[in-house]
Amino acid sequence: MDFAFTKEQLMFKKEIIRFAKKEIVPRVQEHDLKKQFDFEAFKKLGEFGILGLHFPEEYGGSGADVITTVMAGEALGEAGVDGGLTLAYGAHTFLCADTIFSHGTEEQRKKYIPKLASGEWIGCMGLTEPNAGSDVASLATTAEKKGDKYVLNGSKIFITNGPLADVSVIYAKTDPEQKHTGISAFIVEKGTKGFSSGPNLIKMGVSTSQTSELFFNNCEIPAENLLGDEGEGFNMSLQTVEWDRSALLAPFVGAATYMMTRCVDYAKSREQFGRKIGKFQAIKQKIANIRIFGEAARNLVYRIAWCKDQGRPMNHLEAAVAKLFVGDWSLGPANDAVVLFGGYGYCHEYDMERIFRDSRLAPIGGGTSDIQKMIISKLM
Amino acid sequence: MNYDFSDKEFNLFVEIHTLISEFVKDKNLESSDINTSAENIRQALALLSQTPYLKLGVEKAENYNGLLTLMGAMEVIAGTSPSLFLSIETSTRIFGRILSTWGSDSQKEKLLNPLLNGQIIGAVGLSEDALNVDNDPLTTTAVADGDSVKISGHKQYVINGPTADWIAVVGMMNGKNVICLVEKGTPGLTIGEKTATLGYEGVAISKIILNDCTIASSQVITPKNDKDMLNTLKLWENQILIGAGLGLMKTAFESAKDHSKKHKTGGKPIIAYQEVGFKLSEMLTLFQTSQLFAYRAAWTADTDPKNVESLTLCAKVFCTESAEQVASEAMKILGGSGFLSGHPVEEAFRCSKYGQIAGTSTEISRVKIGDTALGMNK
Ligand SMILES: Cc1cc2nc3c(=O)[nH]c(=O)nc-3n(C[C@H](O)[C@H](O)[C@H](O)COP(=O)(O)OP(=O)(O)OC[C@H]3O[C@@H](n4cnc5c(N)ncnc54)[C@H](O)[C@@H]3O)c2cc1C
Ligand SMILES: Cc1cc2nc3c(=O)[nH]c(=O)nc-3n(C[C@H](O)[C@H](O)[C@H](O)COP(=O)(O)OP(=O)(O)OC[C@H]3O[C@@H](n4cnc5c(N)ncnc54)[C@H](O)[C@@H]3O)c2cc1C
Repeated sequence: MDFAFTKEQLMFKKEIIRFAKKEIVPRVQEHDLKKQFDFEAFKKLGEFGILGLHFPEEYGGSGADVITTVMAGEALGEAGVDGGLTLAYGAHTFLCADTIFSHGTEEQRKKYIPKLASGEWIGCMGLTEPNAGSDVASLATTAEKKGDKYVLNGSKIFITNGPLADVSVIYAKTDPEQKHTGISAFIVEKGTKGFSSGPNLIKMGVSTSQTSELFFNNCEIPAENLLGDEGEGFNMSLQTVEWDRSALLAPFVGAATYMMTRCVDYAKSREQFGRKIGKFQAIKQKIANIRIFGEAARNLVYRIAWCKDQGRPMNHLEAAVAKLFVGDWSLGPANDAVVLFGGYGYCHEYDMERIFRDSRLAPIGGGTSDIQKMIISKLM
Repeated sequence: MNYDFSDKEFNLFVEIHTLISEFVKDKNLESSDINTSAENIRQALALLSQTPYLKLGVEKAENYNGLLTLMGAMEVIAGTSPSLFLSIETSTRIFGRILSTWGSDSQKEKLLNPLLNGQIIGAVGLSEDALNVDNDPLTTTAVADGDSVKISGHKQYVINGPTADWIAVVGMMNGKNVICLVEKGTPGLTIGEKTATLGYEGVAISKIILNDCTIASSQVITPKNDKDMLNTLKLWENQILIGAGLGLMKTAFESAKDHSKKHKTGGKPIIAYQEVGFKLSEMLTLFQTSQLFAYRAAWTADTDPKNVESLTLCAKVFCTESAEQVASEAMKILGGSGFLSGHPVEEAFRCSKYGQIAGTSTEISRVKIGDTALGMNK
């Protein structure tokens, strides 16, 4: 057993933090307040190479290993990038682009990956429906084959990047009689007739990410937009879970470090009762809670990443443990950070309240904590 | 990076598991009789000395990963018998490391080799009457008197006090913290009655009193940096308590899991009820998170000693709090059976309380972690 990162990985992390602090973080608060997507920041992520980090160079990526890729997410969180932008990046790179990369034909890869890796195109993934969330297999959107086309009917909800996406990976039933085995995955491009998205849903947190419904009304797509074979969709969605439990969780780990750093700075400068509040044990306790959470979560997230780098089949139990821990155990520390800042913590000017709101997605998105417990208790 | 134990390490875990679970079969390890405790520890030490276990973290053990291997192995022993574990570890990993880290060649020759061969039991007297050494200076004093040294003072709780052949007594001499190696039976050394405790009843714990207790000056250890010495002793104690936490969680979790699969109500095994299955999921999450935390803290101790203290405190708080929580939840899943005296989970529950009190207490740990983050370390 060995928990060391390589020198290159550590250097790269520093570089990302420097880049993000300079280019992205100054823009975060304004966009969060307006609940606006930061197109420029997203483009900069693309230019820096983050959006396509793990794809091979021939597809516009950098061929990075999983640990380095996960580290990039941690670094963004650590620098103070908001959960909205990191979610948009996660949905784009891992839920959308990686599904195309992992299951697409050479033609599909060539057509989509370079433009997604550079950020020229934005991607999204549509699985959840108004009546099918945790119970994904009951999804009702259909894809009926007609000659050399598929015709899609139905709707999706809570889709990150939904209102913006140029490329969508959409799960639909090619065999509505079946549950899991009836699901297939398709690529749907923006502007396709019969395909539209709803307005941005106003959310509690991750506000700079744009979330919407997607509507399919006799939407015709070419048959070659099917990813893999019919009926393989459910397994594809399961495979993205590995990324979901590592790269998409990593920003939360980074955010814990960010919270701690900000709390330490504040505790050293704020005075009450004639002394710095950092002298009070109650303040030290809060800082300790944040550190303990961050250190604990980090090990879980990198364990998933390391196993994926080793080419091991996904360990669903360990993945669910990581998701459950980050989701449920982050509440206390995030709350501590808000309270440590007193009234300022409750105000938008200081970003603790934003991080608190952003962190509340962790026990919901990508499978709720209850669903993680269901998985763990079945597998144990 | 590598998240796996090696095959060699795994084999060691299996080997000591087999040895220890065979050993405990017909023994009463929670007996409050001192002679029984002494006999149990001596036999267990002799048995374990056939494996590399006792050496881990104390001496170089070829092909093993020092403290990291030890942490994995500690879970095995603590998961089999908490009392045996605490006694063995105090003797080996605290008394033993005092010798291996600061002892002279002759002290090592005389005590360390027999200790690692399972021939003697050690104890450590550090904390004092209503004193937490983190806040207050020690009141036990050692005074030079020609070629000998006279020690006076008392220590409130000493693990292995009544069973130890040698006790390392920490005190002040010429304004510095020193360690005095005191042999059983030395005139002036009084061992108190065994203290009755909530958990770890099989461990012989007592007060010790030193009244002009005279030892040869060659039995005094004077580490160069005496302030660091106290922190190091606490660090070692914390590492043991982390290992204990893992073992207690293992016992509690496995027992509750097995029960929930076998025990049926309303025609289904109780694990099928979310109130039970989800509780187990939370317990397993705490357990796995604790394991990785403990391993990383141990790895850091071996690879990056500068940063070990604070990370170990983080791991200690997490693992000992988790142990208490997991044991408590396990009791509920076990229903009435877990409440019966003598059930391993009832025992784990009682023992788990100790982890947060001993070593660096949970409260002081959090303060220290905060101090480190704030750059306010004393
Ligand atoms: C900001 C945001 C972004 C998102 N982005 C995407 C995206 O890009 N693509 C996408 O496809 N989806 C996305 N989602 C959807 C997300 O994955 C779902 O919200 C989530 O899986 C939960 O589904 P649901 O909302 O339908 O809740 P439900 O499944 O209706 O759950 C309601 C409640 O019931 C509980 N519950 C459900 N089943 C059980 C059970 N068997 N046992 C115990 N408790 C149960 C749940 O834990 C929850 O508390 C996003 C959601 C949000 C909020
Ligand atoms: C069964 C048992 C066996 C033991 N074995 C040994 C042994 O073998 N060798 C040995 O040397 N010691 C041993 N100890 C002693 C153990 O390490 C001490 O009990 C422990 O360090 C706590 O000290 P205390 O009991 O004096 O409590 P105190 O230090 O008085 O603490 C009481 C409470 O106040 C809190 N507190 C104290 N100071 C602060 C502060 N500055 N900030 C915030 N909170 C604070 C503590 O967290 C705790 O909640 C043993 C104890 C027991 C119960």
